[in-house]
Amino acid sequence: MLIEIARIFAAAVIAGVLFVTVDLIFRLPEKGGVSGATGIGTAIAKGGGALHGGYMMGNIVCSPDASAGTLLAACGVSIAGIPGGIAAAVLVFIGNRICHDPGYAGTTGAVLATGVIYGASFAGFAPEHFIAGMVLAILSVQGISHARSSTFLDRLWGWRT
Amino acid sequence: MADLIDGQLPLAVCALVGLFAAARIVLEPNTLRKLPYLNVLGFAVAGSIALLIPHPLAILAASAYFIGSTLESNAIASTYAGGKKPGD
Repeated sequence: MLIEIARIFAAAVIAGVLFVTVDLIFRLPEKGGVSGATGIGTAIAKGGGALHGGYMMGNIVCSPDASAGTLLAACGVSIAGIPGGIAAAVLVFIGNRICHDPGYAGTTGAVLATGVIYGASFAGFAPEHFIAGMVLAILSVQGISHARSSTFLDRLWGWRT
Repeated sequence: MADLIDGQLPLAVCALVGLFAAARIVLEPNTLRKLPYLNVLGFAVAGSIALLIPHPLAILAASAYFIGSTLESNAIASTYAGGKKPGD
């Protein structure tokens, strides 16, 4: 039980680092991809947050990004192994096109996450740990304090540029 | 209770995070700022679908649910932000 809790938290850290890195590489905090993402970024900035961190959170809400890719890849690997992860990547790609997103952050995130989850299975991690871990990681970014998480993402974006 | 959670810990995490996100949605007054919490709820439900249904098509169900909820958030946010503007 305790080991499983530790693995879920470790998976949360791994998944969080993975999706934030991929999102930063694909320049998600630069601007809102659609007017809704810009609107969410502005609303978060008005509530005491940072604008570019808010844009990134808006983009995460408005289109499946690397965080969604990681979650769906974990779901796919837990149900059907590596082919399930690849199927999830294809579905995320279709989802990006449906949501008017020209980028490849979601697809890249799903493919990378499939590799990471497969690699972590040799260290005793089950894909189910990554499902719970990714839910905890997105909770820490989107669900606790918008002001603090957007400030943190904004600082990371400052290092990226 | 311990027997119930044993071996189901990932599902318990998804359920608790989903309930927490739902409470935050209800308590947040600003519609645009409700949407990140709704996003967390979408993650929790998509994860629960995959954990509850051990069938290959569950990947399709979880993805369809998640992408659909994202598209809805996108539409709601864009409507509140004033729709498509020049340069988008």
